[in-house]
Amino acid sequence: MKGRSTVARAALVYLASIAAAFAVTMILVAALGFSPWRALRTLVTTSFRTSFGFEETLKKTVPLIFTTYAFTIPFMIKFFNIGAWGQMLFGGTITAVVALTAGETGLPGVILIPLLLTTGMVAGGAIAVVSGVLKTRYGINPIISTIMSNYLAIQFLNFVATAGPFRDPTEGHPMTRRLIAAATIRSWGIVPQAVVPALIASVVVYLMIRHTRLGYEITAIGYNERSARVYGINFNRTLLLTFLIGGALAGLGGTIEVISTQRRLIEGFATTSGAQFGMFGIVNALIVNANPIAIPISAFLMSVLLVGADALQRTMQVPVEAVLLSQALAVLFVVVTRERLRSR
Amino acid sequence: MVGFSSILGQIIIYTTIYSLVALGIVIAGRTGVFNVGGEGIMLTAASTGFMTAYFSGSWLSGYFVAALTGMALGLMLVLVHEYLRVNQFVIGIVMVIFGAGLSDLLYKIIVGVRLQAPRAPRVPLIRIPGVSTVPVLRALFNHDPIVYFMYAATAIAWWFFYRTKIGLETRAIGELPQAADVVGVHVRRRRIIATAVGSSLIGIAGAYLPIFVTGTYNPDLSAGRGFMAIGIAIFAGWRPQRAILGGFLFAAVEVLSFQLQLSVPGVPFQFFLMLPFASVLLIMVVFRRFIDFPASIGKPYHRE
Amino acid sequence: MNNHRSVVVRLKSVSKRFGPVAALRDVDLVVASGRIMGLLGENGAGKSTLMKILYGLYSPDEGEIYIDGKAVRFRSPQDSILYGIGMVHQVSTLVPEFTGLENIVLGTREGRFQFSLTRERKKIQTLSAQFGLLFPLDQKVSALTAGEKQKIEIVRALYRGARVLILDEPTTSLVESEFVQLLTSLRRFVDGGVTVVFITHKIREVMAACDEVTVLRRGEVQGNLQRHEMTKDSLVKLMFMDRNIAVTESALPLIDHVDVALSLQPVLSFDGVSTSTLRDLSFQAYGGEIVGVAAVSGNGEKDFAELPINPKRITKGTASLMGSPINGWSTVDVLRQGVFYTPEDRNHEGVLNEGSIVENMLLGHHRDSRFTRWGHFVDWPRLRLDTEASVSAFNVATPDIDVAIRRLSGGNVQKTILARAFLRDPRLLIVHNPTSGLDISTVEFIFSRLEGSRQAGMAIVWVNEDLDELMMLSDRIVVLNKGRIHGTFVRGEFDKLAIGASMLGESA
Repeated sequence: MKGRSTVARAALVYLASIAAAFAVTMILVAALGFSPWRALRTLVTTSFRTSFGFEETLKKTVPLIFTTYAFTIPFMIKFFNIGAWGQMLFGGTITAVVALTAGETGLPGVILIPLLLTTGMVAGGAIAVVSGVLKTRYGINPIISTIMSNYLAIQFLNFVATAGPFRDPTEGHPMTRRLIAAATIRSWGIVPQAVVPALIASVVVYLMIRHTRLGYEITAIGYNERSARVYGINFNRTLLLTFLIGGALAGLGGTIEVISTQRRLIEGFATTSGAQFGMFGIVNALIVNANPIAIPISAFLMSVLLVGADALQRTMQVPVEAVLLSQALAVLFVVVTRERLRSR
Repeated sequence: MVGFSSILGQIIIYTTIYSLVALGIVIAGRTGVFNVGGEGIMLTAASTGFMTAYFSGSWLSGYFVAALTGMALGLMLVLVHEYLRVNQFVIGIVMVIFGAGLSDLLYKIIVGVRLQAPRAPRVPLIRIPGVSTVPVLRALFNHDPIVYFMYAATAIAWWFFYRTKIGLETRAIGELPQAADVVGVHVRRRRIIATAVGSSLIGIAGAYLPIFVTGTYNPDLSAGRGFMAIGIAIFAGWRPQRAILGGFLFAAVEVLSFQLQLSVPGVPFQFFLMLPFASVLLIMVVFRRFIDFPASIGKPYHRE
Repeated sequence: MNNHRSVVVRLKSVSKRFGPVAALRDVDLVVASGRIMGLLGENGAGKSTLMKILYGLYSPDEGEIYIDGKAVRFRSPQDSILYGIGMVHQVSTLVPEFTGLENIVLGTREGRFQFSLTRERKKIQTLSAQFGLLFPLDQKVSALTAGEKQKIEIVRALYRGARVLILDEPTTSLVESEFVQLLTSLRRFVDGGVTVVFITHKIREVMAACDEVTVLRRGEVQGNLQRHEMTKDSLVKLMFMDRNIAVTESALPLIDHVDVALSLQPVLSFDGVSTSTLRDLSFQAYGGEIVGVAAVSGNGEKDFAELPINPKRITKGTASLMGSPINGWSTVDVLRQGVFYTPEDRNHEGVLNEGSIVENMLLGHHRDSRFTRWGHFVDWPRLRLDTEASVSAFNVATPDIDVAIRRLSGGNVQKTILARAFLRDPRLLIVHNPTSGLDISTVEFIFSRLEGSRQAGMAIVWVNEDLDELMMLSDRIVVLNKGRIHGTFVRGEFDKLAIGASMLGESA
């Protein structure tokens, strides 16, 4: 529906902001007394130098795509789902529970995997809908309720990994037993199978937003809630659906993280890489401004940066937070630039 | 069994954190600025404040720098909103991510990893003669200076908003900024001042954790309290006098759930850790009838 | 220019642009003390902008302001207030949560750290009595009427020492008798040494109230007339000069009103319908007629206009469409039956500002099977075809249908809304103030469409603030007062005074 110039302009804003983010990171790195050129090379090339690095990058990209959608879809009607983090963790936790329980029944992978994917979606969607209902029935701002649900989900995950019947007694650090092979997905060479559900979800979300009645209703409310209500668009129903869909996608991301990358549930995962997905999902969504096509691409680039940042910390002792910081600034640049362009 | 007075004293300390942050959010909110970046401001101020206190050996300068840090971040938030017209919530969230990165980065660069964690200088308690023997009053008043600061800040904020004309004007901005504008109240200037002042309170609350409560700096030590304080501000209907009440309520939940964790060994401790967060939602549902918002909160104001 | 009087305000070659739009071009204005100066022009002529510059809300791009011959620069109203400028705005600028007293003292300089308002109260009571502007001081403003709020705003300006009082369209929500009252107060201000600038788009009001008038059109001064020079013709000419349109006495286009046979059963029918704001309405609209609805704003006319598409609001009685009851139906259900509604506040309730024209065309038709495929998918290609046709039929001036609606002018936005309403040829059309703020050629276009639809057998319910317009085109005029139907007038028996009295709730 958008004209050619709009797309070009969006791409330009995006590229400029990426460049700005890099510039800020480099200035920071230089200010800390490290070589900015070496750091830049590490940041950009780590993902592509080894097959392990590339696979690692794709494995980070997938959950990031999901948490980005989880923020983006409610954001289309101007609501903030800060809970992609918790929705993902909850989806992952329930997935692990189901996988460990059902794994013993000896179900084959063709049944088990779809079951687990559905489980994650249901769990993530359910916890997100609670926030939606708290808004529609009790008027509680979803910013608050989703943040609170994050903390609840963190503790729940830690509980399952630590105290439940699923704990692996042989490990020192609290974690569940390993999932059976039928409950996990692997890679084709350097491409993890996890990219398949991510790509399918991207296409489905795109079709949903641009070509369905629900997508139109979401768009209309985002443009102007009052007009949309006047012409009979059910605001509460749409709000609940956006949270349901967003939460389900986050939950799916959690499932994939568990069955593809972790292959068990580890205490503390919530606050390490789990937190990264939650936070950078928001960052990514704000940068690409809910553009459904740009989300996977941008998620991949962001993962390159994240993998590079880990390498930067290992090889050059540059704190990972430097990248976090520059990302926050990048968002600021993008939103400011976009606002400037828009108001013209 | 831990004594009642000591538990109450513990609750007052946590009340101080919650109430100061909530008060900071309330003050900005009264001019229509919804500051959701409190968590990031707390973290950054905790880092700068703690390091200042540690290196200078003076807790007072620690809090001073924390207040300045909070003010700087608050200014960043409100200026980007007012002049660059970015959505308040978006900048608030950016502020959280920014603060989470900046706090640890600064600490890693300046202090680094040490075998023994650096400890903040001792903060003296202020005893009020006469009350240190009365059981309940002792728990309320036998505290470090920041507790008194919190009492005073709440009282002053209440007096300002409800007992002065300039406070009436400030509240008018939160209700209907164009109304304040047409009678010559500088909407933008007041919003900037209120957000800066409020954020400096949030900064002090952030630094209170490492300087007094724990004595050491840890990553992510605010642990979501900056977010819970938003819940308190809403629960308080954006009134300073109720923010202290809400702060007390949340502090009680946190301290009691910690106590229960020690005394009820059968239940996994993770569930006690969930209690404060769950109670935020519960309290907001139960008290929703008493909640009213300044009408223009979160909305930008521009003349054209 | 009257040479015996001193000049209080002089604006010299003031220009102001908003983005690409020049709101004011090289405007000069001289206001002599102790007079009522009219500022006349159509909506969008630049009257309010000019006065907001004088009041310090906007700063001019070019030009100077002189007060008592001294050049001044106002950065905010705080500055202009110090020079004795006061302004009463078109929309209420009072804080609804505060009392009248609190609103009046808001922003005054003295006693900023005190709260007791005893002295202030005395002073305000004296002012109110002096100028005949009485209102409750200690009630929350949200509970007061529009007239009372206006009085508070005027007293507030006077309380703050206004020597020049700017009234921006002060009569919008007033009825005739309140207008007469206002005229009396205006004279008292002048006697009390206050100069008044009276902004209006109504010639009648200028002639009734002003000593002198300056006419603006498209941001430029068209002329200045003294009281003895004012005639209807001269003012109309200045307001609309370059239009090649036959200007009638009331500056409205002429539309032929043809006799049409009515449908046998009413398209819309209310039978003793009540809601939380409307009481016991019995009302019918037949195919082939335009039913005008007249009300002083705030008497339930908005709820009346919205009622047919929100039957869930009905608490008592029955509403029917084509004979079948619709109580409890959702908006979507009603829209599907061939009903369309265009709201009064078109920018906030009528369109999706950020959306394109095509996206806007779907609003209200998004559940119509014509524009959906396989139940849940939007048939964009078909919608685009229909939109192209509709946009050209309604002369919407736009390069293409993907342009964001916010880039269109007010007239083109309204045409788009009407084009949307006619996308599926409705059986019942409800329009609320469709012409407000539009230029005369667009008004003429809208009138011709309404009349055309009437002749095609459509039922039209037309809620309108301008009684002159209603009287031109309506077959019947129904008057709403305090949520009740207070009177019904049939074409041929229209009497402006009688309808006006009915609008005020007076029995005929």
